[in-house]
Amino acid sequence: MSANEREQSTRAEPDSYEAAVERLEQIIDRLDSGQAGLRETLELCREGRALVEYCSGELDAVSAGLQELRLDELTAKLEGA
Amino acid sequence: MRRRARVSLIGEITGLSRSKAQAYFELRDAEGAVPGAIWLNDLEKLELPAGGLRDGAEVVIGGGPEYYPGSPQSSPGFRFRATHVRLAGEGDLLARLEALRKQLRAEGLFELQKQLARPALPRTIGVVTAESGAARRDLLAGLQRRGWAGTVVWGFAPVQDRRAAPAIAAAIKGLAARPEVEAIVVTRGGGSLADLWAFCDETLCRSVALLRVPVISAVGHERDATLVDDVAAVACSTPTHAAEAVVPLECAEARRSLGRCLAMLRRSGEGAVGIRTRHLVALARGPGRALRRERAALNQRTREMRAASERGVGERRAFQRRLATVVLERAARRAAGPEDRSRREALRRAEVAFRAHDPERTLERGYALAEDGDGEPVISAAAALVAGRVRLRFADGRVGARIDHPDADPPAADAGGSEQDLR
Repeated sequence: MSANEREQSTRAEPDSYEAAVERLEQIIDRLDSGQAGLRETLELCREGRALVEYCSGELDAVSAGLQELRLDELTAKLEGA
Repeated sequence: MRRRARVSLIGEITGLSRSKAQAYFELRDAEGAVPGAIWLNDLEKLELPAGGLRDGAEVVIGGGPEYYPGSPQSSPGFRFRATHVRLAGEGDLLARLEALRKQLRAEGLFELQKQLARPALPRTIGVVTAESGAARRDLLAGLQRRGWAGTVVWGFAPVQDRRAAPAIAAAIKGLAARPEVEAIVVTRGGGSLADLWAFCDETLCRSVALLRVPVISAVGHERDATLVDDVAAVACSTPTHAAEAVVPLECAEARRSLGRCLAMLRRSGEGAVGIRTRHLVALARGPGRALRRERAALNQRTREMRAASERGVGERRAFQRRLATVVLERAARRAAGPEDRSRREALRRAEVAFRAHDPERTLERGYALAEDGDGEPVISAAAALVAGRVRLRFADGRVGARIDHPDADPPAADAGGSEQDLR
């Protein structure tokens, strides 16, 4: 993987929470192996922090407070619009 | 027509109404409906359980066709005159359910939902249930226990009568059409198979199977197995379990896990930099240390060389000095030659002469030396008279002597108070 590709993959937004967690586990396994060089380690840490931030944002999104909507009202609103 | 053969029909009671003498209803199945009626007298003789004959009840009725010729106030018509009614046993329903289950499985409709990916942390979920019911409350409580507080879109629908299945299917389709809905829960409480029959509806189940949004079913209790459970992505026994299935993540634990990940990442980053920094610092100090080591070794060698040089010069100097001394002595002896010998001879003679004049030698020959009290020699008679008392020094010692006038008588041999100092 080239440096540019690595940078792009670092910046890419995860598809989902579970994809982010899976990638995070891969990163931690790689770091735990002790085989990553300095540059790779720093890039993995940067990517990992971004993933943790993303996951925290997802958790925040479902922790703000329960919102209850009615399908019939939403449908009526859609049809009225 | 009354003599026509009696038949038994199976169907669901709908549109039940009563007059003073009869009960009217339609007997409906998936194909259509037949109008029917039963005399209340006949119905009471059957001793059905209270509320047994009601809308939505699955029944088996016995009887035959009847023609009503009409009256001046009413129209003629055909209807099914029931003389016997019994509630359909679960055996009837189970047989139909198993046949339908076999058919749907053969079509592969049980697997489609199970192949869909279910989000671990959906932001919006759709729920199809009765607006008033324990299932709604239990599901919300379950979601709260997961620490989940996202958005719920309620698709309320009847869950127990003949209108239930189409309404449930419409609600599910409506929810699935909304892009923000990531998973759908279909739930209601327990009941008899007849009560849950709407969830075995073929049209409903086919609709669920073909949705691209995962559906979690929690219909009835654990022992109740409806057809929608078979086609759903996940079948749960209770609404509480459905909450855990639709939000697989326990949010508080997920936050703790993220915290641990973050700490690990921080340690890794700082550790990787720290280890390498210390290594680089050690490497950077290397040349300085090597220079100091070499400089110390060089200084030590210089001191050793200087000491060796000084020691060599000293030895060389001492050797030269000894050599010069020897050479000079030899040269001096060579230079002195006969003169030195004559001087030595003269010295020897002078020593002999000196020894001949030594007073000690004279005293050894029997002479005596007169000395005053201070040890000074008394060298004249006049001085002796003046001194009065002298000491005579012989070779073997001193004696005291009194000096008398020359004309005085010599003292007696025993009268003299001479003193003796023999040494």
